[in-house]
Amino acid sequence: MTTTQRMHPLAMTVNGQAVQAHVPARRMLSDFLRDDLHLTGTKRGCETGVCGACTVIVNGRPLKSCLSLVVQHHGAEIKTVEGLAAGEQLHPLQDSFERCGGLQCGFCTPGMLMSACALLDRTPKPSAEQVRQHLSGNLCRCTGYTQIVEAVLDAAGVPHGN
Amino acid sequence: MGDFEWLTPSSVSEACRLASQYGDDSRFMAGGTALMLALRQRLVTPKALISLAGLPELKGINWDDAKGLRIGALTLHDEVARHPSVGQHYPMLAHLARNMANPQVRHQGTLGGNLCYGDPSTDPPTGLLVWDAEMEVANAQASRRLPLREFLVDYFTTALAPDELLVAVHLPRPPADARSRYTRHMRTAAEHRPLAAVATMARFVGGQCSELRLAVGASSVVPRRLSSAEAVLNGRAPTSALVAEAADTAAQELDVLDDARGSAEFRRNIVRVTVRRELSALFELGD
Repeated sequence: MTTTQRMHPLAMTVNGQAVQAHVPARRMLSDFLRDDLHLTGTKRGCETGVCGACTVIVNGRPLKSCLSLVVQHHGAEIKTVEGLAAGEQLHPLQDSFERCGGLQCGFCTPGMLMSACALLDRTPKPSAEQVRQHLSGNLCRCTGYTQIVEAVLDAAGVPHGN
Repeated sequence: MGDFEWLTPSSVSEACRLASQYGDDSRFMAGGTALMLALRQRLVTPKALISLAGLPELKGINWDDAKGLRIGALTLHDEVARHPSVGQHYPMLAHLARNMANPQVRHQGTLGGNLCYGDPSTDPPTGLLVWDAEMEVANAQASRRLPLREFLVDYFTTALAPDELLVAVHLPRPPADARSRYTRHMRTAAEHRPLAAVATMARFVGGQCSELRLAVGASSVVPRRLSSAEAVLNGRAPTSALVAEAADTAAQELDVLDDARGSAEFRRNIVRVTVRRELSALFELGD
C-alpha cells in the first residue's frame, strides 16, 4: 500500500442513516461496513463469494459484500443485519429463526437473514422449494438447513408442518 | 489486493479512450463478481479499474418486432430472468438466467461481464449460441457486430480488442414454431458451476424436425454448436434411436476439457447422457 493512495468521496444510506466517507478504491464493501462503520453483524467467511455470510441488501438486491468494492455503491441504499430490528422489536425473520432453531453457531445467520429478507420482500409467500433455491448462495455448516427453511416459511406465515 | 485507480467514465468513447491509455494495466468492471475474485487472488493486478456503471448505452432490454431482442451488456442476470420480453420470446433464456450461479451473483453479475470474461464453466454463452446471438462491440471511434461464435475465441479469451468493450447482445426474432430447452449438469448441487451445459432449439414441419440447433458448453474451452450431431436429426422424424445417435455424435464431436473438475472421459460421458436426455425431452420421446 502506498501512503499516497487516492481517497474517493462516498455518500450512501446504510440502515436508513446517511453515511459520508472517503475510501480507497480497493476497500471492499464488507470491510467498509465492518471496519469503517463498525457494523460487525455482517460476517467475513470464505471471502471468495461462496459462503454468503457477508450478504447485505443493496438497493433491494442481496449481494455478497466480499465481492464488491464500496466505490461501486456510491449513492446506494444498503441494509445490513443491524437494520432488521426496530429498536428492541426483532424483525419477524429474527424472531422465527430463534423460535424454529434456525441457527447453531450463528456465524451464517446474518447472511441467511439478509437473503431471506430479500426473498420475502419480493415473494411474500414462498414455497419451501423457493426458499431452498433462494438460500442456495448461503452455506450453513451446523444446522442441515431444515430449520432455517422452516424459519423463513414461519416468518412468511406459510405452513411447514413443524 | 493492491490499490488501483478508480475511473468512472460516462460514455462508451470515454471508457474506450481510458482503456487505450492504460492498456493492459487496466480492466473494465461491470458487476465485478468474477473480477473481484481475480483481484483478490492477485490473478490480475491492474493499475486502474474502469467502471462501466455510468454508461447508459449498456443498460436495458428492448424488444423490437422486426429486429428481435437487444440486451444491454450491463443487464443483471436477474433482470434477464424477469424481463417479460425474454420470458415471452426466449423462455429458455429466462429459465437459464433464473437458475444460474446463485441468487447473490444473479443480482450483481451482468450478462456482458459474463460473456467478456470468457469463463467456460458458466451458462449464458451456451444458451445464447442457439439463438444466433450477435455481439455489438465498440471502441472510441466505431462499433461493429460479430456473431457470438466468433466472439468466443478460447479459454478466458474473446475477440475483443484491448480498446473495445461489449455494448449489447442482439438476438434475432426467434422462429414462431421454435421449441427450446436448456439444462446443465453439475457435479454437486452446491457447486453452482456447470460441468456440462446443453442448449437445444428445434423446429418442425409435419412430423419432421426441419431444423435442430444444439450447443454444448462448460466441457470444452468455448461452447460451440455441434453441426454433425444436428445433422443426424435435421429433416427427419425424431426417434429414440436417432436421438441416441445424435448424442453419441455430439460426445465424439466435442473437443472436451480434461481438468481437475472432470476427466475427458467423464465429461464425454456426461455430455452424451445430457444431450440424449435433452433431445428426448425436446422431442417428447420419453427417456
